[in-house]
Amino acid sequence: MGSDVFEITVNVIKMLIIFLLMVQLVPILVWVERRGSAFIQNRFGPNRVGPLGLTQLLADAVKFLFKEEFVPPKSHALLYYAAPVLALIPGAIAFGGIPLSMPIDIQPFQMFGSEWGPYTFKFQSYDLDIGILFILAISSLGAYALLLAGWGSNNKYSLFGALRASAQMISYELAMGLSLVGMLMLYQTLNFSNMVELQKGPLHFMFFGKEILIPFLPNWGIFYQPLGFILFATAAFAETNRLPFDLPEAEGELVAGYHTEYGGLKMLLFYIGEYGHMMVASAVMVTFYFGGYELPFSLSDSLTGAVRGAFSSVNLGNVMAALVIHVVMLLKILFFLWVFIWVRWTLPRFRYDQLMDLGWKTMLPWSLANVLATAYLILMAGSAV
Amino acid sequence: MTVNMMIGPEHYLIVSAILFCLGLSGILLRRNMIVMLMSIELMLNAVNLTFVTFSHFNQNLDGQVIVLFVMAIAAAEAGVGLALAVMLFKKFKELNISFFEHLRG
Amino acid sequence: MAEIVLFYLLAAATVAAAVGVVMHENPLLCALHLVLSMLGVAGLFFLLQAPFVGAVQIMVYAGAVMVLFVLVLMLIDTNQDDEKFSGGNISALTKGLSVGVLSGLLTSIILRTPQSLQRSVTYEAYEVIDIAKLLFTKYVLAFELLGVLLLVIPVGVVALSRIRGGTHDR
Repeated sequence: MGSDVFEITVNVIKMLIIFLLMVQLVPILVWVERRGSAFIQNRFGPNRVGPLGLTQLLADAVKFLFKEEFVPPKSHALLYYAAPVLALIPGAIAFGGIPLSMPIDIQPFQMFGSEWGPYTFKFQSYDLDIGILFILAISSLGAYALLLAGWGSNNKYSLFGALRASAQMISYELAMGLSLVGMLMLYQTLNFSNMVELQKGPLHFMFFGKEILIPFLPNWGIFYQPLGFILFATAAFAETNRLPFDLPEAEGELVAGYHTEYGGLKMLLFYIGEYGHMMVASAVMVTFYFGGYELPFSLSDSLTGAVRGAFSSVNLGNVMAALVIHVVMLLKILFFLWVFIWVRWTLPRFRYDQLMDLGWKTMLPWSLANVLATAYLILMAGSAV
Repeated sequence: MTVNMMIGPEHYLIVSAILFCLGLSGILLRRNMIVMLMSIELMLNAVNLTFVTFSHFNQNLDGQVIVLFVMAIAAAEAGVGLALAVMLFKKFKELNISFFEHLRG
Repeated sequence: MAEIVLFYLLAAATVAAAVGVVMHENPLLCALHLVLSMLGVAGLFFLLQAPFVGAVQIMVYAGAVMVLFVLVLMLIDTNQDDEKFSGGNISALTKGLSVGVLSGLLTSIILRTPQSLQRSVTYEAYEVIDIAKLLFTKYVLAFELLGVLLLVIPVGVVALSRIRGGTHDR
């Protein structure tokens, strides 16, 4: 944290903005999901309220806010109310740990009659050395919201959904963690910012003593660990309870799963939690395998150079350059969010035993094999990013 | 003892001692098998806190490595204990340990 | 200053949640209190500048082991548990007293031990790689044995759960 008033204020505002960014993306994503699903299935989707149905979001928000408060009888009131709030927390905390743009350097400047020294603001809520580990740990707490919702609403469908969700999340956490290990061995760091730094430039690595340089490909993690990426993406679908793994809320069998008894704002909080998890998963994918906020080759540098040149003040130029880079990161994240939506409306749902078989008998062995093969290659060929 | 505003090792150790004793009292007082397992986890947590405290104040990383071992073993123990509890519940529809006093199938 | 406030907050939360584990009648609420207690301990680890262990604590204990506990408690219906605490006021009083005496003894031992540990020195930062080096050199045998244990445990659990019990018995 900061050492003086200005730095602390900026840091607090920054955290607030990143949290609000996450929350404000949700209505847009809901709209994209509904319109996208409609186009994929050759329907229209919401297209009446406002241009392209965009103001449907406002109507929905008003509807969510003014719905009747309802608590099912014989439910555990505390747990019933705690669950939606808990659904929001892990996603919100985890999203803050991912660098969304490059650090902003601020030169000393005059304000309110006093001198404010040079600062470096990171475009993330907190920067831990153990970055990815902490985010995995916090995301693993997301299971409790589902469990408490299922138990607290005293409904057998909810309970079934909660049990399925927790079993599924425990099973896929293993494959998820192990699929990242290969990449961590290559990067030799757990910190996101360092990973982004390592993915700059064209693809180059040492292979049996020879330096190999492929100028037409960026130095992204996906080219080192394609299997790891596929495993991680699959596990992320399971962790976020999205189709094809949305067994906890399979509407054909369980009405709506763990949130059967929820309506109005509480339902909305579950939505925000789910989309928050998706955003964290997308951001981790982008940072690990697709170069983070950097554009491929040296496009980032020329872009920020152009933006900096357009402003006379150095500080303003730095801020605007960071914002432009932030747009790049957002576009990358939005692309993967679109992949989530795309897959949801394309693939059918797995059966529960198929889901467990896939997790334990296919993905776990493959991710272990990936770890071993990567370790062997690093040892033999001496290749590191 | 002089009033010292620094947080020293003894603060953490006292928290750890209190947690350990609470876990112990849980084992002594409770009759539900799963709650007793949870009390064991609480005691292991207290021990972990002691390890990390000494690791920090002695500038020695061995304590943290031991904590990782303790965690792995605690997870394994919880897995086996819960599997046994589920089996017992399936067979007897009961988890209260006073029911199992005589160890007759 | 921040460290002191954080320490007392976390310690109070941890101990209060631990009391909840022992005193709550519903086993599910006990489990949830234990989750809170473990998160508090993880916070204390972060305060002790051991973020790696803290993150592993959240991931392993709060994220996996306790989810398993909650899952099992939801799976089996424990509402008809009539005898929650061990019977007899006198026996309970004796147990409570002895545990209280034990905690008092431990506390006094901790407070009366001469402080050989240095305090208020600047602590060297370490990296996760240092822990990994220790794990794979000094403690490599224990690490391998742990691997064997973690292989045996799932096999044992699967074998246990394959035994036909309940309505399929005999």
